[in-house]
Amino acid sequence: MEDSPSMDDHQDSSLVVGVGLCDSAPLLWRLQDLKTARRLGLVGALLGSLPRTPRQNQRLGRPLLLLPEEEQLLRDEEAAGALPGPNQDVGGAELRRQFEEDQQRSFEEQSVLALEDRKSALRSESGAEAVDEALCGRLEALDHSFSFPQSAMAVQLSTARAGLSYCPEARAHLQASWPIREQNNPRSDARYQVFRDLRGRGFYLTSAGKFGGDFLVYPGDPLRFHAHFIAVCLTLDESICLLDVLAVARLGSNVKKTVLLCSPVPDGGVCYTSLQWSGMV
Amino acid sequence: QITCNLPHKDCASNNCVPSELFAARSRSHKIPVRGQKDFFPNDSDEQRQRLEQSLNEHWSLTSEERVERLGNLVKAVWIPSDQIVELQSPAGKFWQTMGFSANGKQYLLPEEALYLMECGNVQVFYRDLPLSIQDGYERFLSSATVTLQQYQVFGHLKRLGYVVHRFDPSSEPSSYARQLNLPQSRDRAGRQLKRKRSPSPTYTKRLNSFCFFCSYTEAQVESTIEKMEEDKCSLEGDDAKKLAASPDIQTATTSGADEGRSWWMTDDLGASDKELHHSPTSGSSRWDFSSIPFPDVGSSERHPSCLAPPEPSLLPGDLTVGVCDIASWRRKINLRMVKMSSKEQKREKDTRRRRWDVNKDREVRRCRNWAEYHELLARRQRKRKGRPAHLWNREVTPLHDPKQPISTGELLDKISVIKSTHLLEGASRLKGSEQWRICFNVYQPDTVADFKKSNPGKPYSRMCVCSFDGPVPDLRAIKLLAFQSGDIPVVFAVVDHGDISFYTFKDFQLPTDVFP
Repeated sequence: MEDSPSMDDHQDSSLVVGVGLCDSAPLLWRLQDLKTARRLGLVGALLGSLPRTPRQNQRLGRPLLLLPEEEQLLRDEEAAGALPGPNQDVGGAELRRQFEEDQQRSFEEQSVLALEDRKSALRSESGAEAVDEALCGRLEALDHSFSFPQSAMAVQLSTARAGLSYCPEARAHLQASWPIREQNNPRSDARYQVFRDLRGRGFYLTSAGKFGGDFLVYPGDPLRFHAHFIAVCLTLDESICLLDVLAVARLGSNVKKTVLLCSPVPDGGVCYTSLQWSGMV
Repeated sequence: QITCNLPHKDCASNNCVPSELFAARSRSHKIPVRGQKDFFPNDSDEQRQRLEQSLNEHWSLTSEERVERLGNLVKAVWIPSDQIVELQSPAGKFWQTMGFSANGKQYLLPEEALYLMECGNVQVFYRDLPLSIQDGYERFLSSATVTLQQYQVFGHLKRLGYVVHRFDPSSEPSSYARQLNLPQSRDRAGRQLKRKRSPSPTYTKRLNSFCFFCSYTEAQVESTIEKMEEDKCSLEGDDAKKLAASPDIQTATTSGADEGRSWWMTDDLGASDKELHHSPTSGSSRWDFSSIPFPDVGSSERHPSCLAPPEPSLLPGDLTVGVCDIASWRRKINLRMVKMSSKEQKREKDTRRRRWDVNKDREVRRCRNWAEYHELLARRQRKRKGRPAHLWNREVTPLHDPKQPISTGELLDKISVIKSTHLLEGASRLKGSEQWRICFNVYQPDTVADFKKSNPGKPYSRMCVCSFDGPVPDLRAIKLLAFQSGDIPVVFAVVDHGDISFYTFKDFQLPTDVFP
């Protein structure tokens, strides 16, 4: 959370990412949080419609959904906290009053801007630099007759919830109550170990269900680079059917990515095996 | 290009100042095209610059807030007790394919409202304050309404232009009704709003809900019939005394034993635990028989001598029925205790003592008449003695007499050991599953211009939402869903975080290489 209003992007790492829970999925709503996560190398996935052009699926907008591994990493680094839920700061009379005041003020300011806008349109219509009498007359008439209808007022439909979450006091809320939603099974442990290791080596990871694997591994930010690897995470003592190995190897070669079989080893590291399709020798 | 960026005191919440709001009118609606990606990171300035540019563009787009003219926004209100959004100003173009009317008002389902909020068409208020998109996601999405994953699929399809409605299994015509080509009177069913305290149900439409609705699929009807037969057998064997039993709705009758309750009242069975919210309107194609108890006029229990009139909505047309005095009917029923001779009594005892009940035998049940039953007994007799019919009942002959002409196709059929089957075989006997459910009906975008909510026609496909974390649908799940869906293909929308993949299974016939 910001310490001061005039914050720039080169931040110290004491920023805490506020995570909202929706149907038990961890979502990031605030732009600062998305930036912080990205700076930590966590890509996530945007789920919402893009405000500028909502009716397309090429580029989506906030919220950002975190992978369970990303959420866990933030938690382990103590870089995330839970945002208060929807019912916690349901407006009292104070917030309602504030809202109405803000709306009224906005309306007045916009009226002024609209009048100015109309005036400058008139001025540019008349073309010449010279301000003649007729123009002055029209401008004055405008002052008297102009009305800005309520329906023309521009209104913001906020993406993230504003309010109490930005008070300093609420920062305490953030760290305290983190819902424990760990899945304690060996497979998800393996996934997390692999995720940590690869992230620590500077790779960026996203999910790879479509590619038959656990993660897609990028050498740099996915905005600029293609993925090089498909990571399949297995525990050391898990046995894997040869047909599955063949299937994932075939898939990898079809999409021109190298398949990595990844297993955490007892000493805390991860063992990687890449698959390469070669012919009969 | 306008963005609501730092520095600003409110920028933590990304609130735009009025001047920014005003200027947003002339905001561009184009998205920058993404350029080619690099293959491998090197430490070049060029790459760094390109990355910075991409990131800036990314943040710029992501930080933009929705700004709309107040006059273009439809105002609405969130009603959490009903999990529904009520419109407070007239609906826009979206009304053609979304929302429903009830009690003289216009409503939107939570997922529809959230989608329209994201499109900047609707502003939803709760307690006089506008809800943010975050509020919408956190309040509207849950396993009781639509889950986040289902909403992702919903949004994805809506953004592509499809019309997406919730799937209601009970409003699908059964295969029998389709065979008969019954005309389908379908309102776009909406979910029933919670009953207020009024005694007589005046709700005009049933509302869509795949959680609270108690529906009767064919499988359920079959199982009820089976249970009825079992009950029949467990009663005393005297047929003369046995009358048409009421369907197995013990809970209804026990709670109905309360004074004043009559069989045709379909009020909430407040006493029972089952959620049977159902108000059949005349013209509805499905009655919930588990909540309509039929009177057992012949039972030996005490029964009021008068039956109150049935609820008008259960009767056709203008028919009115008054109070029915059943005293005369009861007199006509032979309620005398039958006196059995000692031999008969002994026989009764033996029958009861024997555990094995012939009526529980599945093969016996499949016999449709006495002739078939005799055949079954004879078959079993022979099998028991190690004498299969085709070897013992007649002369043993080859499977086909080579002197007789036969087409290749028929011959192949005769010698085939494994018969081919089709997807829907046995599907009607499958019981529903919690895990595999059809969520949505999807109609094609080019039908939007003529789309009528009251008569949407056949959907293009039906969606079942799942994820790569969960199991792959097995044959049982596929059969079940195909059966529920009828002749519309079922598509599996597999959600993998931000990504959705669509899969469908097609029935396939192996070609037979036969020359006639």
